[in-house]
Amino acid sequence: DAALATVGGASSSAGGDGGTPKPSVAVSAVAPAGAAPVPAAAPDAGAPHDRQTLLAVLQFLRQSNLREAEEALRREARLLEEAVAGSGAPGEADGAGGEAASVLLSRVTASVPGPAAPDPPGTGPSGPAAVSGSATGPAAPGKVGSVAVEDQPDVSAVLSAYNQQGDPTMYEEYYSGLKHFIECSLDCHRAELSQLFYPLFVHMYLELVYNQHENEAKSFFEKFHGDQECYYQDDLRVLSSLTKKEHMKGNETMLDFRTSKFVLRISRDSYQLLKRHLQEKQNNQIWNIVQEHLYIDIFDGMPRSKQQIDAMVGSLAGEAKREANKSKVFFGLLKEPEIEVPLDDEDEEGENEEGKPKKKKPRKDSIGSKSKKQDPNAPPQNRIPLPELKDSDKLDKIMNMKETTKRVRLGPDCLPSICFYTFLNAYQGLTAVDVTDDSSLIAGGFADSTVRVWSVTPKKLRSVKQAADLSLIDKESDDVLERIMDEKTASELKILYGHSGPVYGASFSPDRNYLLSSSEDGTVRLWSLQTFTCLVGYKGHNYPVWDTQFSPYGYYFVSGGHDRVARLWATDHYQPLRIFAGHLADVNCTRFHPNSNYVATGSADRTVRLWDVLNGNCVRIFTGHKGPIHSLTFSPNGRFLATGATDGRVLLWDIGHGLMVGELKGHTDTVCSLRFSRDGEILASGSMDNTVRLWDAVKAFEDLETDDFTTATGHINLPENSQELLLGTYMTKSTPVVHLHFTRRNLVLAAGAYSPQ
Amino acid sequence: MESGKMASPKSMPKDAQMMAQILKDMGITEYEPRVINQMLEFAFRYVTTILDDAKIYSSHAKKATVDADDVRLAIQCRADQSFTSPPPRDFLLDIARQRNQTPLPLIKPYSGPRLPPDRYCLTAPNYRLKSLQKKASTSAGRITVPRLSVGSVTSRPSTPTLGTPTPQTVSVSTKVGTPVSLTGQRFTVQMPTSQSPAVKASIPATSAVQNVLINPSLIGSKNILITTNMVSSQNTASESSNTSKRKREDDDDDDDDDDDDYDNL
Repeated sequence: DAALATVGGASSSAGGDGGTPKPSVAVSAVAPAGAAPVPAAAPDAGAPHDRQTLLAVLQFLRQSNLREAEEALRREARLLEEAVAGSGAPGEADGAGGEAASVLLSRVTASVPGPAAPDPPGTGPSGPAAVSGSATGPAAPGKVGSVAVEDQPDVSAVLSAYNQQGDPTMYEEYYSGLKHFIECSLDCHRAELSQLFYPLFVHMYLELVYNQHENEAKSFFEKFHGDQECYYQDDLRVLSSLTKKEHMKGNETMLDFRTSKFVLRISRDSYQLLKRHLQEKQNNQIWNIVQEHLYIDIFDGMPRSKQQIDAMVGSLAGEAKREANKSKVFFGLLKEPEIEVPLDDEDEEGENEEGKPKKKKPRKDSIGSKSKKQDPNAPPQNRIPLPELKDSDKLDKIMNMKETTKRVRLGPDCLPSICFYTFLNAYQGLTAVDVTDDSSLIAGGFADSTVRVWSVTPKKLRSVKQAADLSLIDKESDDVLERIMDEKTASELKILYGHSGPVYGASFSPDRNYLLSSSEDGTVRLWSLQTFTCLVGYKGHNYPVWDTQFSPYGYYFVSGGHDRVARLWATDHYQPLRIFAGHLADVNCTRFHPNSNYVATGSADRTVRLWDVLNGNCVRIFTGHKGPIHSLTFSPNGRFLATGATDGRVLLWDIGHGLMVGELKGHTDTVCSLRFSRDGEILASGSMDNTVRLWDAVKAFEDLETDDFTTATGHINLPENSQELLLGTYMTKSTPVVHLHFTRRNLVLAAGAYSPQ
Repeated sequence: MESGKMASPKSMPKDAQMMAQILKDMGITEYEPRVINQMLEFAFRYVTTILDDAKIYSSHAKKATVDADDVRLAIQCRADQSFTSPPPRDFLLDIARQRNQTPLPLIKPYSGPRLPPDRYCLTAPNYRLKSLQKKASTSAGRITVPRLSVGSVTSRPSTPTLGTPTPQTVSVSTKVGTPVSLTGQRFTVQMPTSQSPAVKASIPATSAVQNVLINPSLIGSKNILITTNMVSSQNTASESSNTSKRKREDDDDDDDDDDDDYDNL
């Protein structure tokens, strides 16, 4: 319907709006009031509506015998006689589409100094030169032609939006023509121009389907679907089942695809070549489609090679515009609060007699910053409100620091041991796993809607006593916190009932008081780990919630689901605080940055987006995966992000620069779990191919080329070094690795459900 | 459980073969054999529902036969009901913009477990106990120390009565020792009648009574325990088992808002 074509929250629709010039004077005069103030994209969608109105007005004028007014209006609107005399149905000029276009063209060239401003309507935005249907520089000889072209989109905007772009039977010819042209072009340009095939194919197909030319759509699909890249095959399969307009209505992803602009990055030379070709008369239809549905991000420089392009493409919306990845991201870590470590270590029992409290200087800096200076890349402490530390948190931190001293330093010559927890008798029902930070509890979410919590250590799980028993304890005793726990019902396993659908996400709070679980029933539940009962159900997603995670500081949590948004909640608000909307398909995976100021989401539209918690903006878009993303993890220093998808690759991203910096190939099936070691030296990845692989993260991130050209254009040359980076492959016995966890001492815990074939 | 175990296509009934073919066309190669049965059931149920609806529409329009328009209408109506899809993108961007404009709320310090207001939590009891019949024996002769009377209707601020409890109010209690002991005072807590679980009491009780107790570990330091004393010693053990946990503050019904519309975002 009235597609506002807003692509993401951050990108402006002014740039690169292609065939969406400001409406001509006449049209805007009659356009419904809502259309004019709407951003430039609207006229396209509102055009059929406009045209209907226009025709109706013309009819009225004729009926009222207001001939002069009618003539004037018709002249200004430049409508065809035939179209007016007939019905008012849009697309009526269908049969004569091809000719109509050329007739219009001639009319328009005849009236060169027409009302349409030669000054292209899409100009204004500086920055990447967008395709705005304007002549961006061709000299005078080409002026007439270029003016004609300018007006052409104007007219087609009047005639139809998505409704018809010419004769449906000619689509195959248009496409073949373009294909021929691209295949005959120079090698260096061919790779870049080949990027056009897929979006054009899909858009043309969807147009045919939308306008109910079923047979033409089918034959078009048959003829050209084999030419597309292999990584688009899944999409094409979905498309092949969309043969009628009604099918499109329920498919939100396809609707989003229709209304958003597919982004392509092409070098200036290739673009000039393309434009010159398409502006020839017979190729105008393709040009219209290009302008309408594609956003061509032009850069100056060498055309990219096929390899470079293949690394970056694959997402449902093309690549990311360069300015989408330009905003500043505070990827540094927050300063750790200074805590005095009290005295006695168990290790040094022998040495200190009385624990000499003053002798040992409180260790303040063992966790984080040694310097007092503020890291320029770190967010200010109070950028977002964070809960203050409670005493129990301070004790936790002290424990953490103690454990850190015993941590094993990992490296290529010192690989971690992996302890695998296999869930038996789960009957393919294990859908989520989480482990607490201190590795004392493990939770599993199951398809039978239960959440089960086990104790990993010999210490059993105890819940708080009932009120009657509580009345009998001595509240003044020192160990009151122990006494309130009920020994009689202590067990290794506690089962939490409450959800009404499979539990797809689980997350422990950092202070181990709470557990979150997200389910197919659309709710996220907060469970107390002291009473093992459910405290709150957060409703907002009305569709399955695929993942949830607590913030590293507690209090906030993020959830992402089938409704294509991720939401940020706080435990004491029953409604979300932030809504991160922009993905075109389900949000599969949500993770907090270690400084809790950013949230990364991985989606089924094959992009990864980084969102700012403070204002909900999307600050980074990472494309490159060829399948839905199922796992994300941040490096402990906050600078890098690793992502895994169904294509079996693990991609590494530099958050600060917004670039892909590594590609780890090796897995043969979906990578469903990723984790960096505690100091970031090793990346562990677990997959549905029943293996755990360890990669050398230090080596992967060293020697990053970040020269100006790379940062400006976002082009990368990825070294083929997956084999060197792979440190080890560990097979399980037909158990997909659903979760990975590094203990504080750098031991790896892995979890999965045994699924015999 | 994979395709290897699929029944041989020839022995399958025709529509099962068709369903297997559909799955294959959609690129699904591995599935448990029961999937076909479930898909067939779904297809049958869906088509039956649509056709039934179409018949109704057709008869409403006084047509002789069911034609394509009726079926189309039936499909459309059903789609709006059962197969809802997530909201469209522009709507989501719009509400996201609205929601993201408000700054993040500041966090109150030291407030115990940070949970939403009680109405939105699941911490209230979702049951109540049946009130018992009047027992023959009166409460004469029972010693009552100043007690908390929790009555559903009364709010009489009269002096503590020793001895016979009034017919209106019955106090039942469980001693929960806390630093905050209110045994010296008498409180009357108004509770809506519907919420009051009756307690097994041998005291003649006409109205329901409840115990008010707070689980200290669950809630936190802010909440106050109301201490009441036992009216009759023999009921101590039994009554203490009937306590219902409540907070002293307003405690509405467990209100599970089942908002399916988007206002609740």
